[in-house]
Amino acid sequence: MRKLFTLMVAVVGIFLFYFTFQAAAAVFYTDWDLPNSSEQDEGVPRIVLIMNEIDHPFWRGVTSGAEEKAVEMDIDLDVSGIYGNNTDDFLRKIEIAIYSKVDGIIVQGLDHEKFKELTKLKAASYGIPVLTVAHDVPKEESLRKTYVGSDQFEAGELLAEQLLKDMGKAGEVILMIDSEQAYFQRQRLEGIEHYLADYPDISVIEAKIGAESDQGLSSVNDLLNHFPQAASFVAVNASYTEELVKEIETRRKVEPYYIYTFDEERGAYALLEDGKIDGIVEQSPKEMGRLSVELMSEWLQKDSLPLDIEGYFTDIQIVKDLSGQ
Amino acid sequence: MKHLQKKIWLLAIVVLIIMVIIWISLTYYNQKMQDQYNQILERYLIINELNMVSQEMVTSLNAYLLDPSDANFRTIERRKNRVGQLYDQVTAFRNTDNESELTNYTNLTASLIEMTERSVNFQISDETDTAKAALNEAIHIADYVSEMRLSVIDKELRTYDIFYREMIERSEKLTELGVWLLVTIILMLLFFTYWFSLRITKPLEKLTESAKRLSKGQFDREIEADSKDETAILAKTFEQMRININNLFIETTQKAKLEAELQESKYLLKESQLLSLQSQINPHFLFNTLNTLSKKAYLEGSEETSDLLVSIADLMRYNLRHMDKPTALHEELYVLNQYIQIQKARYTDRLTFVTEIDEACLDVQIPGLTLQPIVENAIIHAVEPSEDGGTIMFRIKNALNHVVIEVEDDGPGMTEEKIDALMSARAVNSEKGTGIGFKNVVQRLKLFNSSDHVVDIQSISGKGTKISLFILKERSEMGYDQSSYSG
Repeated sequence: MRKLFTLMVAVVGIFLFYFTFQAAAAVFYTDWDLPNSSEQDEGVPRIVLIMNEIDHPFWRGVTSGAEEKAVEMDIDLDVSGIYGNNTDDFLRKIEIAIYSKVDGIIVQGLDHEKFKELTKLKAASYGIPVLTVAHDVPKEESLRKTYVGSDQFEAGELLAEQLLKDMGKAGEVILMIDSEQAYFQRQRLEGIEHYLADYPDISVIEAKIGAESDQGLSSVNDLLNHFPQAASFVAVNASYTEELVKEIETRRKVEPYYIYTFDEERGAYALLEDGKIDGIVEQSPKEMGRLSVELMSEWLQKDSLPLDIEGYFTDIQIVKDLSGQ
Repeated sequence: MKHLQKKIWLLAIVVLIIMVIIWISLTYYNQKMQDQYNQILERYLIINELNMVSQEMVTSLNAYLLDPSDANFRTIERRKNRVGQLYDQVTAFRNTDNESELTNYTNLTASLIEMTERSVNFQISDETDTAKAALNEAIHIADYVSEMRLSVIDKELRTYDIFYREMIERSEKLTELGVWLLVTIILMLLFFTYWFSLRITKPLEKLTESAKRLSKGQFDREIEADSKDETAILAKTFEQMRININNLFIETTQKAKLEAELQESKYLLKESQLLSLQSQINPHFLFNTLNTLSKKAYLEGSEETSDLLVSIADLMRYNLRHMDKPTALHEELYVLNQYIQIQKARYTDRLTFVTEIDEACLDVQIPGLTLQPIVENAIIHAVEPSEDGGTIMFRIKNALNHVVIEVEDDGPGMTEEKIDALMSARAVNSEKGTGIGFKNVVQRLKLFNSSDHVVDIQSISGKGTKISLFILKERSEMGYDQSSYSG
């Protein structure tokens, strides 16, 4: 009996000691997962990548390419985009970047007065190089160091070439643009028009959509009413694509129309897969990101390196259908 | 009491040490948590203050542009300096996680300072418009500072999120630890106290038990003590006492036994002396009797010889039978009468034997053949020498606790010297060879009564002699007749 009691006390004692020590260890074990104080010296360049629609697949491509390169080159890259298309917010980001005295700004070009002013005056006065990516702005207006992205003029030509191939050498082509007419859209437009200028049977119509449209085209719906003869639509501003397809579908079949767009449109590939559109100009967003970071870093490290003021063009191609990819 | 004290101290110290360890570790832990927490809180406060002072700087800049007084200028300067200080502090907060936000933040404030300075400079050089433009820009930047502060704090919060969670978790674990500790300590204390008290009380209990045994008179069991403290000393002393008592006890018993043996051997000695004395009597008596017989036969022929022979035979028989045993007085008296018969046959009219007997005393025990030698002596000394013969008075008187036997004769008496010699039982050279008989009787009576006062001799020269024997009615001497004469 006594022995049993002693044994019980011992067992309970061991049990208690075990749990007490366990609890004590849990309490006193210090494993603060706190970040180390920065040992980065001031020499590491800080580059900001600023863009609209940060969640857009196209821009995600750019961002991922840039980030990859930044890690590779040991550069402090801060991706500072906005969601949606708010110009004020976008410009604000640029301004913050300038006042924050970053070493370089890689920015989606915006054909806007304020943008130009910021890049030309503010950035210059703070000595911050600006590099446009994907969308360019005229070099003389923005004082950008260079441009990295697709040659939009060539993209226009490429698209026109494909259009010609598909549609034939006659027909009415509607080029959908927005009322703001961003620089890159104009370049594309020029490219298409330049290419199609040689074919007199093709009538090219620039359709400005939006409240400020002088043609009275406040919506895609108006466009269809306005140009019932159209054989082909080119969404120079790619964001109109989906609306266009939807509107046409409410009236008649989509197939007879030759519809082309650019890969900035989110739903473009899905539409292509469904056979509702006929081609997408595909750019290389990842390559843009990589190249822009690389060029910026090179520029920062070797000030003397002359950057091609005309820009560094990344690959573009026409995607007809996904099976062909 | 050193050992017990030490034990108690030990227990107290162990408990104290445990308490102190727990207290210290908890305090240390708490302090650490507090430090960590304060540090983080301080970061927030400083980050926030940088923004606040920046805003204030812009406000004071605005005031200065509206009213370019020295006081306002100094306010700007003061706030600028403060911003500068905070700038340094916040810069020190940089870590791998918040690097870009924090750098942006600090650089923004730096830009703000620059812009403020520019504005002030323009104002000083009276370019009011430019100064105003710079102020606007400064307001802008202040706005950005405010915005960036939010992202910095946001980032900080996200960084320290784990820490907060861990802190909450730890405080829960601390509670858990508290419970475990409480239970463990309670159990430990209970166990130690039990063990400890057992170590103190167990030897005491044993000791108590031993004491009880001793008080009951059991001295043969050893007192054990397996402890090393005071109780052991107590037990040792106790044990020594027990051994001493035990030894004394055994010694006393042995002494008593020895004494008993000694006593017995004394008795044996006395018995053997008595036997040897009695064996001395028989030849005398036989000699005397035979002497008488021969004289009778010589004088008168054989008429009364047969009667005498009967008497002799009685005597002989009595002697043979009662030699070694105390006999009742009446039996002794009977034998004495037989003897007188014989002597009367010898002396005829010359011997007058008068008895005066208290019948109540006849059951008293006396040694065998006590009276006859005395009477014989009286006959020899008082009757025989006289031609006219003599009278012998024989009395048995009852006294308080003894019986007095008196033998009185009217003979020539004895000298004082002779009386003294007889009384002191020294060797007496009797003229007629009967001294031995008297002495023997006295000696035996002395042994029998265990007293020296057994005989009294009164003698008047020419008138006679009176011999008194004192026989105790109840003998104090135990076991004389039972054990000594059993053989």
